[in-house]
Amino acid sequence: MQATKFQVKLYTKTSDIELEKLVPVFHEWIRAKKISDELLIDVADYAHVPQGPGVVLIGHQSDYYVDVADNRPGLLYSRKRGFEGDLRAGIDDAFRRALKACQLLEEESSLGLAFATNEVLFRVQDRLSAPNADATYDAYKPALEQSTAAFFGGAASLERVGDEREPFAVRISTGANGTVADALARH
Amino acid sequence: MTSWKEQLGDRIPDQLAGEVELFEGQIELKKQGKLDDKIFAETRLRRGVYGQRYDNGLRDDGTGQKTLTFPCGDLTKGPDTVWDAPGMMRIKIPFGKLTVEQLEVLSELAEENSDSILHVTTRQDIQLHYIHIEEAPDMMRRLASVGITTREACGNSVRNVTACEYAGVCTTQAFDVTPYADAITKYLLGHPDVQDFGRKFKIAFSGCEDNPCGLVTFHDLGAVAQVRNGKRGFRVVVGGGLGAVPVQAKVLAEFCPEEELLPLAQAVSRVFARLGEKQSRARARIKFLVQKVGIDEFKRLVAEERETLRPDERWTAFLDDLHSTDEKPVREAGEIPSDAPAGFQTWAKHNLKPQAQDGYFSAIVKLPLGDFTSTQGRALAQLAQDLTGDSMRCTVEQNLTFRWLSGADAVTFYERLLALNMAEGGAGTITDMTSCPGTDTCKLGISASRGLTGELRNRLSVIEDELHPAVQALRMKASGCFNSCGQHHAADIGFTGVSRQVGGRKVPHFNVVLGGQWTENAKSYGLVVGAVPSKNIPKAVELITEYYLANREGEESFQAFMARVGKREFRKVLAPIQKPPPYEEDPSYYSDWGNPREYTIGDIGVGECAGEIVPFVEFGLQEAEQQLHDAQDALEAGQAAAAATGAFTAMVTAAKALVRHLEVQVKDDSDDVVANFRTHLYDTELFHDPFAKGKFAEYLLKMHGDQSYKSASEEIAHSTLDEAQLFLEAAHACYQRLTEAAAAAAE
Ligand code: HEM
Ligand code: SF4
Repeated sequence: MQATKFQVKLYTKTSDIELEKLVPVFHEWIRAKKISDELLIDVADYAHVPQGPGVVLIGHQSDYYVDVADNRPGLLYSRKRGFEGDLRAGIDDAFRRALKACQLLEEESSLGLAFATNEVLFRVQDRLSAPNADATYDAYKPALEQSTAAFFGGAASLERVGDEREPFAVRISTGANGTVADALARH
Repeated sequence: MTSWKEQLGDRIPDQLAGEVELFEGQIELKKQGKLDDKIFAETRLRRGVYGQRYDNGLRDDGTGQKTLTFPCGDLTKGPDTVWDAPGMMRIKIPFGKLTVEQLEVLSELAEENSDSILHVTTRQDIQLHYIHIEEAPDMMRRLASVGITTREACGNSVRNVTACEYAGVCTTQAFDVTPYADAITKYLLGHPDVQDFGRKFKIAFSGCEDNPCGLVTFHDLGAVAQVRNGKRGFRVVVGGGLGAVPVQAKVLAEFCPEEELLPLAQAVSRVFARLGEKQSRARARIKFLVQKVGIDEFKRLVAEERETLRPDERWTAFLDDLHSTDEKPVREAGEIPSDAPAGFQTWAKHNLKPQAQDGYFSAIVKLPLGDFTSTQGRALAQLAQDLTGDSMRCTVEQNLTFRWLSGADAVTFYERLLALNMAEGGAGTITDMTSCPGTDTCKLGISASRGLTGELRNRLSVIEDELHPAVQALRMKASGCFNSCGQHHAADIGFTGVSRQVGGRKVPHFNVVLGGQWTENAKSYGLVVGAVPSKNIPKAVELITEYYLANREGEESFQAFMARVGKREFRKVLAPIQKPPPYEEDPSYYSDWGNPREYTIGDIGVGECAGEIVPFVEFGLQEAEQQLHDAQDALEAGQAAAAATGAFTAMVTAAKALVRHLEVQVKDDSDDVVANFRTHLYDTELFHDPFAKGKFAEYLLKMHGDQSYKSASEEIAHSTLDEAQLFLEAAHACYQRLTEAAAAAAE
């Protein structure tokens, strides 16, 4: 069975972040339906949890975290359900939504955030169909490489990270140094 | 592998597998429209699958209520509960005990099905939020494969059995209560005698009288370990509870020998199932039954019931091996190194407790608001595997305790916590606050208890070291509404969410409840001093603690201080901050902590915390009880007019709830409520008492007519309160008649 619970994280350029500022921003996104093709529901504030999920914009089909896991702030896009299409299309969709959210965040002047494009963390939260194992990596690698090239150009290098207790994860050095807008424009 | 069912195979015990299968079947039937809403709701609730705020598909975005358009269309998972709306899963952890592999699986579920957060509740459970109902069966399978069931985590059933987190390792215990808590959990789970309760039933164990850990006094059934003449047994109490009007449990047996514990619990269950209130949920907890018949009669009924029980070998079988629940340390005992670093010392001061077993310690991992991440969960599981074994316990203060830590490993343990950012000191002090979910996720939340707790934590963590030791030692707890899930009655300083109308707008407030006692199993409850706007609560904490420090005598405890100076003095302390500024001056008062949306109570839904869904009318009746309770406080404080006005407000609240129950649209103001009450409940005689006829309704009509409450003398206030009490009783009775009539009509 094809997994759909894809996560894509892009990191902020600087590591200092005031998470509380995201709470009103995400509430406003819900009100203004900023992500127009998704149902946005609520905001969960976990700023009190060290190295945690930060502030989460909870949606029906996906969640958008500005998280501080590993003390590295970033935008974590998390697909929960409802994707139909092949692996490549699923990865593309997750990349696009993550980048789009980064762009929206960059536009929020109260936040002063900018995202780097040289590194992407890709994860699948589905131990049944995508355990953190070599076989999964082999199955995902070609599609991941193609998606990375399509968005970021250049020569990417991929590395599977974590052990079998953790979700399947791949750290991608994209080889790019352009902006989020560049990546969205390229695809 | 194509499914978890296949993958896990026979690692799922047959019985649990069957139950999950059944649930999955019901999900399918519901989707095909072949199952009634109420029945399905009860089914999922009994399996710990709860609703969550906004699951009626409505949410106020700060500019008005909007519809959340889920793809499922009309499909529901209960009355007014949208299928696709995120829900909460409550995972029952008997006496909070977690093994390494259980914590690993819980962490997996948190990130695959929730938002990567595991939340420890005030009853030693773990909750996951934002769960989709269709993912629940596989989650249950994965839990079942490590011996966890969510069965009867909710519903009108025996809830999680709690016990002190130090059971078995405590220095003051009479004996280890774990095997008894384990036995009662297993015996009552799914037992036919506990299926027909009118309401939930909570059991707690304590290993000793003096320490707070078991908190038995606010439980439906509590057992405190005792040894008499070398024989083990329990002092058993019954009928305690928190909620709008908290009640201390009464002694059912001064000494119940160990072999009589299970039959006694069974007899109590049978009496409760037989005689407990079934129609009016607001009166259905066992505390009301004990109050109604009196403890002596209740004792007699239980004794009589006990005689009729057919002997069951499980009553005593577990006594043959009381060591079955023992934990085995994985490391040799040892001393804490004398050259331990300073940071360790600070942490150890409140977070490390010597065990009864020499060379071993219990370490408390303090969790902010009871939360930790899946990544931390895995790392903690590893830590346990390496150093302490399967010895973790979720605590009622929303922390995790690791037992069987060798002194020799204590510094390593601390350093590994430090690396996880989890080495926060001050467990059990003022910074270690407890909070219910409140408006974050609870459908009944009135104020943002978590938002408040987070704010207080932020402020206190900066000044923690400078605080006077007497202030450091205080406990603070917050509940988002009067249901008291945050156990604020048992705190030195407690908060309950309430809303107040100011200049035509709603303002989030908290009632400040002072002087509750945590020790001696929460021996006495705090007293409501008054409502303060949410945004002024940090100031209130400052004023209260300053006043305490400035005026206490010697080493006087906060409870003793409160008992000496009384509520009245504290009212004066809070008076200057009780009134919020007008909206135009400072709109920040009109939104709650951690939530920038303009405050509204429009999002409060129909709660579904116990079996059947809590209809709005009951929420209203409870709120009225709370208002009357506050009015009584005001009268005691000598504020006659405020008391009478409060009593009138309570009547209006109850009347409004009933009017709304009849599906009549009604506005918030008392004129409209009373007019509608007259038309729909008085003129129709629906509210009429079989004997007193319209008498109680007339109290409200008259009071509304002459407005005598506004300038009531103390004497008038007294009678107003009495009338309000009778009116509320009549309102409950009326509601009951309406429900019965509806049920009869349905048949
Ligand atoms: C949908 C959400 C919830 C609803 C509707 C709800 C409802 C209630 C009600 C009505 C009571 C008062 C019971 C009584 O004395 O009659 C209560 C008590 C309590 N609840 Fe909840 N609750 C909810 C969530 C929670 C959560 C999330 C927790 C744990 C964090 C919790 C823990 C407790 C505790 C500890 C008490 C007080 C202890 C007692 O006397 O039973 N509840 N709840
Ligand atoms: S106290 Fe009220 S707001 Fe808090 S969890 Fe209980 S029912 Fe919800």
